[in-house]
Amino acid sequence: MQAIDHHAWTNRWRSRHPAEKLLPAVSLLALTLILPPLNIGPLALTGATLATVYGAQVPLRTVLKVLAAPTAFLLAGAPFLAVSLDFSHGFSLHFSADGVRLALETTVRALAAVSCLSFLALTTPLADWAPLLRRVGIPSGVIELILLVYRLIFVFAERALTGRQAQTARLGYSRPDRSVRSLGLLAGSLFQRSLEQARRLEIGLAARGYRGELRVLTLEQPLSWARLTAAMAFVVLIGVMGGLLAQVWT
Amino acid sequence: MHIAEGFLPPLHAAAWTAVSLPFVMVSARRVNRLMQDQPQFKLLLAASGAFAFVLSALKLPSVTGSCSHATGTGLGAILFGPSVMALLGTIVLLFQALLLAHGGLTTLGANVFSMAIVGPWVAYGLLRGTQGLNAPLAVSVFLAAMLGDMATYTVTAGQLALAFPDPASGVLGSFIKFMGVFAPTQLPLAVIEGLLTVVIVNLLRQYSSDELRDLQAFPRLFTVEVRP
Repeated sequence: MQAIDHHAWTNRWRSRHPAEKLLPAVSLLALTLILPPLNIGPLALTGATLATVYGAQVPLRTVLKVLAAPTAFLLAGAPFLAVSLDFSHGFSLHFSADGVRLALETTVRALAAVSCLSFLALTTPLADWAPLLRRVGIPSGVIELILLVYRLIFVFAERALTGRQAQTARLGYSRPDRSVRSLGLLAGSLFQRSLEQARRLEIGLAARGYRGELRVLTLEQPLSWARLTAAMAFVVLIGVMGGLLAQVWT
Repeated sequence: MHIAEGFLPPLHAAAWTAVSLPFVMVSARRVNRLMQDQPQFKLLLAASGAFAFVLSALKLPSVTGSCSHATGTGLGAILFGPSVMALLGTIVLLFQALLLAHGGLTTLGANVFSMAIVGPWVAYGLLRGTQGLNAPLAVSVFLAAMLGDMATYTVTAGQLALAFPDPASGVLGSFIKFMGVFAPTQLPLAVIEGLLTVVIVNLLRQYSSDELRDLQAFPRLFTVEVRP
């Protein structure tokens, strides 16, 4: 989490207007879902990873690390899509060509989609999403809530880590039953301190004339139509290539 | 149990988003009004949302050796009620997608439906139901958290079954298949989460009865005597 957030704030495309990253990434995501996965999938995966590594200059290692967890889940799940359950003659399990194809298509599609998501996560800090959310009509109160959650997550994560270290040092996780108890105590005390933190924030803000609206300065980033067009052209190119491949193969 | 980005076919992803949207919108309107009436509610909710996210990022000890994490669905429903959880859960799921690459944007609707709508309602219903039968609080909380979790998994299995019907035995066969995968892996996790939630609620009742009152939590949680 820290790694993703770190790169989101420090990558080379950090100062770009969020729309320049959001629109192409979301369009590519839509393409991977709509077009036949075996054709568009590898292209989208390559495109999104190239954009992250060469465009935004996020180290490949980080990208791979981010992709590793969802990939492991997908690979673990794939066999269950491929296996088919049959009740017609009693109860039997068997592989079918359709099932294998379905599993392959789904895994490839999901992998490509995850790479689009990780591009977004690694290049655009969550705070930059706020204007977009405002534009789609989400109440400003809810957006403020989102930004507050974003800030507090890191405060609490640090506390959780410290607490966990302290518990581990006292053998709090040496046995399964102890682990449950330790984790419960950790979560409970974390929650108490979260509420305390909220109360302190509230007092501090009230002292500064808080009336239910938090005003913050945001960095003004001019939208470059040239860059946006180029990025969209890249996405369209991937889409067209995917479409052509589909024609050639069939 | 998050469905990964891109895992669902486009029609299913869109349909689940359409199903979840009204719930989240009603919840957002309600929470927005609450926040306007009481500005401090916003901070309380933000703290709780961040807490839920961090809780879900903490690895849960699992019997099989593999690690998984708590959903926090039951705890959230017990503390805030399901109408607030729809929005709060959606926010947490959004953060999980964008900060951990866990879950996704296209599958957000499906995940919201199982984890922020069905799970909390089942947990809340069970808490109210069992409390109505005068069950001990610990038993109620355990059942609410555990079965809330199970409800979430069942819905997820159902969503996957609908999206990937078995070529031989259709949606039902596929559902049995996915439940067959979830039951051995997730049932122990649900039990652990149930126990965990009891430990948390006990701790909060002992030391944080004032805060619980602020949360407008389920009445029985804080009307009991506070131990010194």
